[in-house]
Amino acid sequence: MLIFRSEDHIGRWCSAWRLPRGATLSVEQAWKLADAWYRDRMSAGWRRRTVDEAHELFGSLGLTSDFWRFS
Amino acid sequence: MDGALPLVHNEGVYTVMPDDFKNRVRVRLYELFVESGRCPSKSEVAADLGCGVRDVADAFNELAAAHMLVLQPGSREVLMANPLSAIPTPFAVETQAANGQRSWYGNCIWDALGVIAMLQCDGRVLASCGCCGESMTVSVDKGEVSSRPPGVIHFALPARRWWDDIVFN
Repeated sequence: MLIFRSEDHIGRWCSAWRLPRGATLSVEQAWKLADAWYRDRMSAGWRRRTVDEAHELFGSLGLTSDFWRFS
Repeated sequence: MDGALPLVHNEGVYTVMPDDFKNRVRVRLYELFVESGRCPSKSEVAADLGCGVRDVADAFNELAAAHMLVLQPGSREVLMANPLSAIPTPFAVETQAANGQRSWYGNCIWDALGVIAMLQCDGRVLASCGCCGESMTVSVDKGEVSSRPPGVIHFALPARRWWDDIVFN
């Protein structure tokens, strides 16, 4: 996951790497995702999310497309 | 690590089940990483827990198999204790806590922001545009995030492919 100056720069990078365009998030969205995903990582009670739990978390942030599905 | 494993720790001798041991290794790895500012080795985790290096190595391998750590291919030392990277990356993180400024590396921009989230403090990510290399700083101040210059974040691979090549991802 990389940061770019603009959507145009993402397009150039995808072309250079011959990769299809993935998903673009605003910095605010990425921060909310990072916060939700990692906030409790150091706690003794942390465990890997189930697929359903991960989908629910993505969904709570509006990330509902097929791109954000593990299965 | 079959069966109960006796552990010696500061609080005395007690017995834990294997899953508890793996979790204790995982938690102490993170705690030692954050306390020291660098990723501890298998030997250092073992010394801290008062157990054998082989036991920690086995726990690392099982945690990696469960996608809870990423190990270096040769040494089997930790490469990624997500969101933290054990080695320098293009995603440097500076955090501001009560005990002063600290420096870290994230594995990607998501993880770099995750370091700030995990440590629950203010901080900033010193990164650069993946295309042109222009310097970019993403700051988190009291939970509010901003980027200078403005930017967008790109996930190249869909979620189902994240672990196909976690180092690339």
